[in-house]
Amino acid sequence: MSLAIPNGLDNTVEQPGQRAPLVLGDTTYHDITETVCQVAERRPSTGWVIGFLISFALLQWLTICILYLFYVGVGVWGNRSPIFWGWPIVNFVFWVGIGHAGTLISAILFLFRQEWRTSINRAAEAMTIFAVVCAGTFPGIHVGRAWLAYWLAPYPSLNLWMWPQFRSPLLWDVFAVSTYGTVSLLFWYMGMVPDLATFRDRSKNKWRRMAYGILSLGWSGSSRHWMRYEKAYALLAAFAAPLVLSVHTIVSFDFAVSQVPGWHTTIFPPYFVAGAIFSGFAMVLTLMVPARSMLGLEKLITIRHLDNMCKIILATGSIVGLAYGTEFFIAWYGQVQEEKFAFTNRAFGPYWWAYWTMVTCNVISPQLFWIKKFRTTPWIIVVISIFVNIGMWFERFVIVVTSLSRDYLPSAWAYFTPTWVDWSMLIGSFGLFFTLFLLFCRLMPVINMAETKATLAKQYHMAHADDH
Amino acid sequence: MSEHDAPTVKTADDPAFQLPASLAALSLPLCLGGLAALVVGWALGHTVNASFGMAAYLTALVYCVTLAVGSLFFVLIQHLCRAGWSVVVRRIAELIMIMIIPLAVLFIPIIASLLFGEGTLYRWDDPNYAVDNHLPMAAWAEKTRWLTPGWFTIRAIIYFAIWSALALYYYRGSVEQDQTGDKSVTDRLQYWSGPAVMLFCGATSFAAFDWVMSLAPMWFSTMFGVYLFAGSVLAAHCLLAVGAYVLQEQGALRDEVTIEHYHDLGKYMFGFVFFWTYISFSQYLLIWYGNIPEETEWFWHRQLGSWGALALILIFFHWMLPFLGLLSRHVRRNPTLVFGWAVYLLLMHFIDVYWMIMPETQPVEGAEYASMGGVFGVVSSMLCAGGMLALLTGVMLRVAQQTRVVAVQDPRLRESIAFENI
Amino acid sequence: MSENQEKKVHGIVAEYESVDSLLDACRRVRDAGYKKTDAYTPFPVHGIDKALGIKPTHLPWIVLVCGLTGTATALLMQIWMNAIDYPYIISGKPFISLPAFIPVAFELTVLFASFGAFFGMWALNGLPRFSNPMFTDPRFDRVTDDRFFLYVDSKDPRFDEGSVQQLFNETGGQHIQSVIDDDSSSKIPKPIFAIWGLIVAFSVIPLLIVLKMRVTNSSSPRFHVFYDMDFSPAKDAQQGSTLFADGRAMRPDVPGTVARGEVGQDMNFLTGIDMEELDRVDSPRAERLVNTHLNPLVPQDPDGNDDDEATSPEVSAQAEAAQEPSVMDTTPWLKENPLDVDRELLALGQQYFGIYCSVCHGLNGGGNGLVNRRARKILAQSWIPPSSLHQESLYEDKYPDGKLFNTISNGIRKMPGYASQIKARDRWAIVAYVRALQMSQNASIDLVPQDRREEILERQREVEQKLEEQAEAERKAEEERAKRAGK
Repeated sequence: MSLAIPNGLDNTVEQPGQRAPLVLGDTTYHDITETVCQVAERRPSTGWVIGFLISFALLQWLTICILYLFYVGVGVWGNRSPIFWGWPIVNFVFWVGIGHAGTLISAILFLFRQEWRTSINRAAEAMTIFAVVCAGTFPGIHVGRAWLAYWLAPYPSLNLWMWPQFRSPLLWDVFAVSTYGTVSLLFWYMGMVPDLATFRDRSKNKWRRMAYGILSLGWSGSSRHWMRYEKAYALLAAFAAPLVLSVHTIVSFDFAVSQVPGWHTTIFPPYFVAGAIFSGFAMVLTLMVPARSMLGLEKLITIRHLDNMCKIILATGSIVGLAYGTEFFIAWYGQVQEEKFAFTNRAFGPYWWAYWTMVTCNVISPQLFWIKKFRTTPWIIVVISIFVNIGMWFERFVIVVTSLSRDYLPSAWAYFTPTWVDWSMLIGSFGLFFTLFLLFCRLMPVINMAETKATLAKQYHMAHADDH
Repeated sequence: MSEHDAPTVKTADDPAFQLPASLAALSLPLCLGGLAALVVGWALGHTVNASFGMAAYLTALVYCVTLAVGSLFFVLIQHLCRAGWSVVVRRIAELIMIMIIPLAVLFIPIIASLLFGEGTLYRWDDPNYAVDNHLPMAAWAEKTRWLTPGWFTIRAIIYFAIWSALALYYYRGSVEQDQTGDKSVTDRLQYWSGPAVMLFCGATSFAAFDWVMSLAPMWFSTMFGVYLFAGSVLAAHCLLAVGAYVLQEQGALRDEVTIEHYHDLGKYMFGFVFFWTYISFSQYLLIWYGNIPEETEWFWHRQLGSWGALALILIFFHWMLPFLGLLSRHVRRNPTLVFGWAVYLLLMHFIDVYWMIMPETQPVEGAEYASMGGVFGVVSSMLCAGGMLALLTGVMLRVAQQTRVVAVQDPRLRESIAFENI
Repeated sequence: MSENQEKKVHGIVAEYESVDSLLDACRRVRDAGYKKTDAYTPFPVHGIDKALGIKPTHLPWIVLVCGLTGTATALLMQIWMNAIDYPYIISGKPFISLPAFIPVAFELTVLFASFGAFFGMWALNGLPRFSNPMFTDPRFDRVTDDRFFLYVDSKDPRFDEGSVQQLFNETGGQHIQSVIDDDSSSKIPKPIFAIWGLIVAFSVIPLLIVLKMRVTNSSSPRFHVFYDMDFSPAKDAQQGSTLFADGRAMRPDVPGTVARGEVGQDMNFLTGIDMEELDRVDSPRAERLVNTHLNPLVPQDPDGNDDDEATSPEVSAQAEAAQEPSVMDTTPWLKENPLDVDRELLALGQQYFGIYCSVCHGLNGGGNGLVNRRARKILAQSWIPPSSLHQESLYEDKYPDGKLFNTISNGIRKMPGYASQIKARDRWAIVAYVRALQMSQNASIDLVPQDRREEILERQREVEQKLEEQAEAERKAEEERAKRAGK
């Protein structure tokens, strides 16, 4: 596996007035089909098998931990008074955040006509859905009696004679995350229908053909269908874009509507959204950079794509840094004793190590992307992205744990210590995520072939126009 | 696709790229009339009380600053994203953004009132403020390390310096390219757009804290900078649509700015109406839900008497009506309707700024809280805003005469003219 | 060929290699007046709508209606559930809290609108449609790869096989063919049915079990998966526990804490003794008292009993025998009620006196309550009659408020202590009421405010008159009885 840039394939330099190509080499429509389909059609590589086995083992470990949790109770976690939201909520916010880049790349970049999205949006959307699955697991098991979690649904119950409390941000969260999961799934699936039809038409095996035939709904590529399809896709994108904002906004409401010092601050909604996009893009890069070389997709996922994503990481990382600064400034400017204490405590209290890890990873490390060399060297991109992921996990840890561990009642103050179950569940959730992602790589079209072909057509057309 | 062939770009000296004479002639009358209206409005405001006159002036100033700063952001972000569609309207934004320089001059009265006024405009400037309001002295002592006239002035100079430097740099680059057609100018402007946006965000956010938020000295909201920024970007897009429409009406840019560009501006207007709503609703919800007196104070003042009516107007007419109005693609593809909505939204943005600033004036004798100051007060506020707007438009037209109304040699001009929505 | 001709011809299709040739062909076909045409492409081709004359879709309207339905559903649902059907206040917010209802309203709007867009697209496109005559030709598989197809339907009024073929030929179409019905088996393979049937069968089982359980009765107890969650192992008040060193399930107050409602109640208030003074005259006793209060569970040294010697008659007896002044007399009792005595406090004292004291001391404090009368009646051997509270030795000058408080708290002779039943504040209220009772027996009219005197005198006259009448009546009755006896 080589991560070096093939000669002559650097498309990050753009002459003003002439757009750089997004599909490289002398690629035809058929080449795109071949490149993408071979990922799923050839025999699985050893790397894939090993990766899958490790992920699957971790997933089983997660399952065992969850069963153990159900059997013994939530005491198996390190959640103790006054820190009742420990790692489960940290992990939830972390995964939901990661789940934002996919739909964001798809929806917002689509609305802004950023054509470079086409070769990365599919994998990013898949990542969204799997991250939401991981995220949804944690509040689900955090409710204590997970088998009664259906009480959250507003259904007319003959036993309870009551309804959920809609003035609580936690219920908004239920609606937001489930709506987000559903709409992301629709968006992902709808984008895949034409490509599944390609899989159908290429499959030699009868059963395979039938399975992909059902999944592709009998897609024929009719222009009328395409017209309505594009309209529906644009509409879904138009809904998904504010939805992405709303979901992490509502997650931030979980904290910000309370009066806990360090949580109750109005910048939380945009700051959480920026942080979510930030971590999501970092995760996309962490996955896509190795995947593009392992799956042989360098001509479609080009250095230019990576460069653009690094720039978004840089931008959102700086917004997050600005938000950290603003919070500190207003805590001092507001001169409310509790707020001032909460922020001093964050930076210099018992969790100083977590805070400075967060600042180093989230604010300082993405600043390296100012340097173009770093934005175009795959292994550096992966390293920085992993740092960003670590930093974003710590951000949630800092918010949840430091504020709770120093609440209004000093006699209740305590220090949070995770248990082995906490650790196992965090690692196990990565097992769940990668199991799903690796299965996706084998079974589904990892790149949006139809749209990439459309980009290529435009590229042909422009080259053609320049000839005149 | 061969149905719409690559468009031909007119030569740089084509009259369609010059400021129409009808508009150029308006420059001097606008300047003089605007200045007169501004002075009369300010004086009229003083008949309510001194604080009211200064606040009406500040409202007009902040309103105009948001327009200029929003346009600056528009220009920076177009370079940052290497946007192609917007080239035909970018010069309009560039002309608006350099109005930040005359605005810096117009800021002098605010500083004067701060240095000589003792709390006329900014109550924290009143030496007795803390005692009169029974504030904790330790907290107040800490706070007045930030809120002092001297430091405030220095910060204002820093903000204006940053904005003016960015505006000048991008304006000069663009105008220079008009002459030379040098493509490397575009590269250079793009290269600096990243750091420029960062500087811009810092300056804008803190300017909002200083100039508007500190009117209520004890109130704070971390979101406030974003809130003012959201309105500012919305207003800038509206102003672009208005500018393009007026220029076309007067005969310039008729072939360059197409329905597609109005469609896009309409989409951005729609999007930023949504964004403004999102930010202001989030701020309101968090404060309403938390229900802490230090914070609810700000909204409480803005729900008393006629301010409450304005708050409702903002909900229904700054959000709901334009949201529904701009929902349809047919509206966004009709230049006249886009122009109409843009003018309407500019008015709504003014009400938003007015509602942020005016409730913090000193109440008139015997009143419990500040009011709109009766007929005189309302007329004064409108004269100030209208006057300053006219004055700046006059100056801008004067600048526009020296140059062209579109970046004629921009390497992406052809792409922009040919641009089509999907 | 002959076989094909027997089958129904749906239309004619031609294959093109590039977007531009397809678009050209589309325009030619449109200009030739064909209406029922369609193009099939591997990706959406920009501009083909115009080239083919396809009208815009109604999908946005469907989506708009769905979205508005979502908003309305969410708002009505939340208002109905939280404000009408099951209203209760949470964090001081109104029942209909519109700001709090916005997030869910937004989410449901998006959800419904997205369903509208997704399924609306299905419906308008007639998807899913698994069988399509276009798929008959294996060449058509490349429509999802790199080939473009143009199709004219035979239902088109201008349709004529020859002229369409010619048109396709002119525009560079290749592999021009008639689209005929699929002759492959249209049967769905049996295993699919089997799998589908199995899935349905298995998915019905849980439902059937639930249904059965809901309609049948069973004598065996319910199965408890999580026994200790169904039956909480919480302890009752007096139960023992192995968890704590002292073996008790009930926990005392945490040392150094103050219970709710007891803020500001110092030792003086809790004992009725002037502790500073006591510390001066009898420092060890003061220390013992404080320790007992701070740590009621740790037993004090045996001599500690004499703290409140009144509880044990022997001790006081011994003290009397020794002719030494009793501790009761040397203790520096509080002279005054530490509470502000007002009408409210007296009412409280009256209430508690009525509940706890009057059974023995009588409602008027005369010492002849129900228990006393009963004890007399049954001639109880060891009964010590309760004191009348109106004897001079119990008046304020001889029996200070603090001492009275102490007696109520710790008891005296047969009387038990009430400290564990009546809160300190309420005991002080009783003290205040007792003082009022005492005063009521000897009060002069001068103490009554001027404006109410008349009223009281009036009532006094009425009562006296009644008493006189009563006495008169009794005297007469007596006389009559005497007369009758005399007869």
